[in-house]
Amino acid sequence: MVWGRRIGALVTVAAVLSAFAGSALGQVSFAGKTVVILVGNPPGGGYDRLGRVVARHLGRHLAGNPTVVVQNMPGAAGVVAANHLYHVARPDGLTLGLFNQNMVFGQLLEVEGLRADMRRWQWVGSVTRETDVFTIRADLPYRHVLDLRRAEPPLAIGATAPGSGSYDFPLVLKAFLKLNVRIVSGYPGRSDIMLAIERRELDGVAGSWSSMKPFAQRGLVRVLVKTPSDNPELRDVPSDVDLAAEPTHKAVLQLHAVPNRIGRPFVLPPGAPADVVRAYREAFRKLADDPAFRAEAERLGFEVVYTSGEQCLRIVEEVLASPPGVVRIFKSFFRFGE
Amino acid sequence: MVEALLDGLLRVLQPNALLYMMLGVFIGFWVGILPGLGGTVTLALMLPFVYGMEPVQAFAFLLGMHSVVATTGDLTSILFGIPGEGLSAALVLDGYAMTKRGEAGRALGANLMSSLIGALVGAAALAASIPVVRPLVLSFGAPELFMLAVMGIAFIASLSGRGARGLARGVAAGALGLLVSSVGQDPQAGILRYTFGQLYLWSGIDIVPAVVGLFALPEILDLMVRRTSIAATAPTEKLTGVWEGVRDCFRHFGLTLRCSLIGAFIGIMPGLGGGVAQWMSYGHAVQSAKTAEERARFGKGDVRGVVGPGAANNSKEGGALIPTVAFGVPGSSAMAVLLGGFFLTGLVPGPDMLTRYLPVTYSMVWTLVLANVVTVALCFPLLPYLARLTTIRATRLVPFLLLLVFVGAYTSNNSWGDILVAVAFGILGYAMVRFGWPRAPLVLGLVLGDIAERYLWISVARYGWDWLGRPGVAVLILLTVSVLLVPFLQEWKQRRAGYAFREAAHAD
Repeated sequence: MVWGRRIGALVTVAAVLSAFAGSALGQVSFAGKTVVILVGNPPGGGYDRLGRVVARHLGRHLAGNPTVVVQNMPGAAGVVAANHLYHVARPDGLTLGLFNQNMVFGQLLEVEGLRADMRRWQWVGSVTRETDVFTIRADLPYRHVLDLRRAEPPLAIGATAPGSGSYDFPLVLKAFLKLNVRIVSGYPGRSDIMLAIERRELDGVAGSWSSMKPFAQRGLVRVLVKTPSDNPELRDVPSDVDLAAEPTHKAVLQLHAVPNRIGRPFVLPPGAPADVVRAYREAFRKLADDPAFRAEAERLGFEVVYTSGEQCLRIVEEVLASPPGVVRIFKSFFRFGE
Repeated sequence: MVEALLDGLLRVLQPNALLYMMLGVFIGFWVGILPGLGGTVTLALMLPFVYGMEPVQAFAFLLGMHSVVATTGDLTSILFGIPGEGLSAALVLDGYAMTKRGEAGRALGANLMSSLIGALVGAAALAASIPVVRPLVLSFGAPELFMLAVMGIAFIASLSGRGARGLARGVAAGALGLLVSSVGQDPQAGILRYTFGQLYLWSGIDIVPAVVGLFALPEILDLMVRRTSIAATAPTEKLTGVWEGVRDCFRHFGLTLRCSLIGAFIGIMPGLGGGVAQWMSYGHAVQSAKTAEERARFGKGDVRGVVGPGAANNSKEGGALIPTVAFGVPGSSAMAVLLGGFFLTGLVPGPDMLTRYLPVTYSMVWTLVLANVVTVALCFPLLPYLARLTTIRATRLVPFLLLLVFVGAYTSNNSWGDILVAVAFGILGYAMVRFGWPRAPLVLGLVLGDIAERYLWISVARYGWDWLGRPGVAVLILLTVSVLLVPFLQEWKQRRAGYAFREAAHAD
């Protein structure tokens, strides 16, 4: 225990010293350090995979080539990890967060339990873009999403927790396209949901295209709807915005698709030093152009598109400044939840 | 299939793969013995090294490392009563009791041998079940998983004490475990439960510090009070009874075999977690006692309490491989990290692994077998030396043990909260031992609480009341009820036997 304290003190001293050295030279050095990417999802899902492939290549683009490791902290759709990074983790730039991209809605809807202000994160940027898709089991007879209005009995759609893409998206579709589906939430992670689909406990699931692609390709699920996207692989799939009839519904769906524009962003806690934030933003910009990273990420099913930290923040502010009328519908539709 | 089996073996025996496996075994050996660095963390750390390796080499490396950690992690449970891995606490009950009696060598020998048998049986069961494993896994839905969790708690609760009073205490301890498991943000809406404004409690009570505190701290306290060595009261010549322990495994070969199968089965079920396997097989070992007197010996150093969990501990690793390979759904946290290895080496987990890539899957099974044989061969010569550690005086040993305990607890979240949890559970554990309450159901409640909660919610949300009518659920309910009735039946039978005996005496 004494040793732990001594080592802790040493680390603190080293961190302070290096921060000084860094600002004096105008560049932060991560030499000999270990950077932790805190992933708000359990191992085995898309966020975890992304975290790990970034961890492998990020170090090269940071001064001093630090070791980068992934730590999973699943729970409440990433809220546990976000709260931890916001309040508990040291803002020394050695812990990056990778959370549920929908978390900004948690703030918009004032979800109890979320204790992080999305406008105060130090947004580092995103290197992947996401399209949300809604899928059903491929052995079900429904070919078009509007066929699900007549689905009998109502299809059971699996989800992890409210606020996650697996929960929100089917809920919007159910409300605006009048689909006869119900949401069953509480699964530990996406992999458990996929297994439940395989054993026919569930009829469908919504999620990012990158995490659903392997299952769609091996014929377990069929993609019925997507959020607006120009991804060529999903050319033949209708988008939810096109299918919605009312203009306010279209506006709400546009709002819902906003997080897809920021992809899966990495953040630093609010107190992170400005030069550290600059170093990371630069590293992520270079990472997105790094051929080795691109090749590997694409092999894992990701669509590599760079979005800068500044852009991420702008999009978040845009969401939080949405017209009250649209937000009201957004909120009311969240209360549709079962 | 036989062809694939042989093909898999040949792939592992290639010099490259074999070399990587030995490297993995070497790393895993040290990680298992040293406190703090868990097997899962080490796997995650080593994962990047598999880039550029062939799938067979990569998995020989990773699995070799992983299977050794499970074996060597047990050593501290037996030697010092400190669970090396958070979930290998079942071995503490009888293993450490044997050590205190001066039979550390025998306990270690029995544990190593049963680990080896468990690994072999688990691998064989795995190889044999590959054709039916998909329907088997798919037949366990949310309602069945919920009932399995309930049955696990009931099973341990009913076996932990004698008679109706023991049962009541066991069930109460299990319920307390369930209650403790509900601390933190709930999985449905993220609402905070019993967190008292403490951020540390948001993610719930971690199992590792809780288990380490519950089992190890009371023993260390006891050692400090006694101020002697662990095996002070025992004659020293029994210390090297390693071969006696090996013979014990074959003396109770049926038990070893059944516990290996229990471990493999629980490993196969995704979502239950490997820690449950050890406890279930410990429960089964207790159950195998025929009379109440025999059963009372458990917890006081019955070798069957070492053989059973030891066997399950390694067979579960083979089982846990299956959901990972066949569905891409990890059966344990270590397997979840291993899943990353699949993507990195370009393999896609799924049905293809059981058909097109079957030899690769079998090569993984073979790796588990070979790595375990190597580990056991490495460990056996060390055992007499390890057993001698138990003759060191308490004043010298205790600081080292405390370091082991607190470093182990602290590394689960790297938070001071972990230390506090360990201490709090240490006090609770001491009180439980003092007043004769069983600790095992508490641990199982804690481990299975989250699973039970999630799957009960899902069962009701998905099926309404209909989930109760599913055949699998009905069978599991019946099993649970009968498990709870066993202590009453035994008491009744004994009373009747006593009555019949008196009758016979009167007739004379």
